[in-house]
Amino acid sequence: MRIPALGPTVYILAVAMVFLAALVPFLPGFAVTVLVRLLIFAAYAYSINFITGLTGYVSFGHVVFVGTGAYALGFAVRTWHVAPLLGVMLGGAAGLLLAVGLGAVTLRFRGVYFAIASLVTVLAASSIVVIVPQLNDGQGIIMVFPFTPTAYFYTAWVLVAVQMGLTWWVTHGRLGLGIRAIRGNEDAAKRLGVNAAGLKLFLFSVSGLFAGAAGAVSAWNTYGVFPDVFELTTSLQMLAMIVVGGLGTLLGPFLGAVLVYVPSYYFLTSASNIQLILIGALVVFFALVIPSGLVGGLRRYVPSLRRILE
Amino acid sequence: MVDAGSVLTDLAFGLAAGVLLGCVYAVIAHGLNLIWGVAKVVNIAHGEFIMLGAYGAYFLSLWFGTNPLVAAPVDAAIGLGVGLLFYYGILHWELRGKEQMGLESEMVTLVATFGLSLVVSTVAQLLWTPNVVGIQWSPGVVVAGPVSFSLGGVYVAIASVGIISLTHLFFTRTYLGSGVLAHSQDIAATQLMGINPTRAAAVGTAIGFAVTMAGGALLTVWLPVGIFPLMGALWAPISFVIVVLGGPGKMWGSLVGGLILGVTISVLPTFLPPSIGLSVSTAVAMLILIPVLLFRPEGLLR
Repeated sequence: MRIPALGPTVYILAVAMVFLAALVPFLPGFAVTVLVRLLIFAAYAYSINFITGLTGYVSFGHVVFVGTGAYALGFAVRTWHVAPLLGVMLGGAAGLLLAVGLGAVTLRFRGVYFAIASLVTVLAASSIVVIVPQLNDGQGIIMVFPFTPTAYFYTAWVLVAVQMGLTWWVTHGRLGLGIRAIRGNEDAAKRLGVNAAGLKLFLFSVSGLFAGAAGAVSAWNTYGVFPDVFELTTSLQMLAMIVVGGLGTLLGPFLGAVLVYVPSYYFLTSASNIQLILIGALVVFFALVIPSGLVGGLRRYVPSLRRILE
Repeated sequence: MVDAGSVLTDLAFGLAAGVLLGCVYAVIAHGLNLIWGVAKVVNIAHGEFIMLGAYGAYFLSLWFGTNPLVAAPVDAAIGLGVGLLFYYGILHWELRGKEQMGLESEMVTLVATFGLSLVVSTVAQLLWTPNVVGIQWSPGVVVAGPVSFSLGGVYVAIASVGIISLTHLFFTRTYLGSGVLAHSQDIAATQLMGINPTRAAAVGTAIGFAVTMAGGALLTVWLPVGIFPLMGALWAPISFVIVVLGGPGKMWGSLVGGLILGVTISVLPTFLPPSIGLSVSTAVAMLILIPVLLFRPEGLLR
């Protein structure tokens, strides 16, 4: 198998990630938790990028995987007293299973129908979670963990780094061609022998796996899981990150995560989520004016960056 | 041991309440249906405009003491303006000059209206606080045998069916309306007939918004406490399910879908333990969508 050459974007991301990882031992615990939240955002962004960014299937329901992963960790810790890291793996497994089940049905719907089906699963999931006795009837699960910011950090770091690698792998070579064909014209792609259903389900499952694992890390980091993990706002933030950063790109989700996280952190203390006005306005602007996001826009308007950014 | 008579009474009450509730569901979904049918756009921010309609009714009752039935036409008039603003401010950017709605445009409008929903709901939270408010209006009670229900619900159901019938008359009996209806059926052919596609889509969107906001006002009768800036997150999915059930762009589809959903949500809890009734019926009402999309993607109506 021919291995495609690594572009400059790969090196930029690798340097940034290694720099972050090397920096952490020298930072105070508080600063590390700020970075952990950023990495969790980035993990969310890369996860939704697999399906919405690469294939163009707009998912408003990714918070369902995040919430399922978080609850899987909460359930495992409460019932079996497992180590949190194992809980994160279980969260990923739960997200994967749910994605395979949901995807097998909803990925048959195209365009707005997929989007609507994904949106209604959020309301269904948040109604169901409050009546399951095993999940403490909607009163949430509070967990007691020691404060280990470096452990959260490296777990979230691995999730982001692996997803960056996977994103690069699926966008290059044979798989990437198939995915681009699906995004361009799914019926034509099928005629040409692209296994569209299989490819979409594969991407959706990968997406669910990492969204679930990232949700579990988030629950670990906040010492609890409550029904509000299924809040639609999280889904919308995930989508906003990749729309602003650049749908289906390698660098875009990371840029988007930074752009959405910084205002969220800045307005953390305000009760009314003022940052959502800014994020929403950015989304409207990018969707209508630069639908390919920051990365796509830069590639289009700054020709010298075309060979660098992907 | 459950008394059979009381179960029957519950069932009759649930059915009657479901039909009344279903009419209101139908009218709030009808606004979405019109925009979907005419402009071919699914407005993710639909719930936020229901919320604006509900707040319109709330402030009218606060300042002038009017009831939601009076507020509905006022909201509808405001909705016409908001709809035009929405069309020319947002949709026109993407739809201009398009004769077919491609997947790319669908994605752009989905994402843009979702951004708008974040902005509108957050601004509403800033202006009106996240607290829940409501309108106290109880014009009386109807007693029919063993069941009794609020007269307000009956008035609102009649008004809802009236609004849907009015839009039907507008689209089938007026010159402007039939132009818009033609646009919704075939954009290219309509252009050949000399109809301005932008204007047709803008009129359709404006009417859709008027119906949505009037529906938001009527809905407040069912929400003695339940008007708050994030209420759209509940009512938008309900509207989506209703429109898909009936079939997007079908005039009476909203009524059929609304009645099905209303009856489901209000009858199902009578068969379930009270602690889980509401949650299960909400989940079922949402997931009805999936078999419908699988087996009758064009909606239940022909």
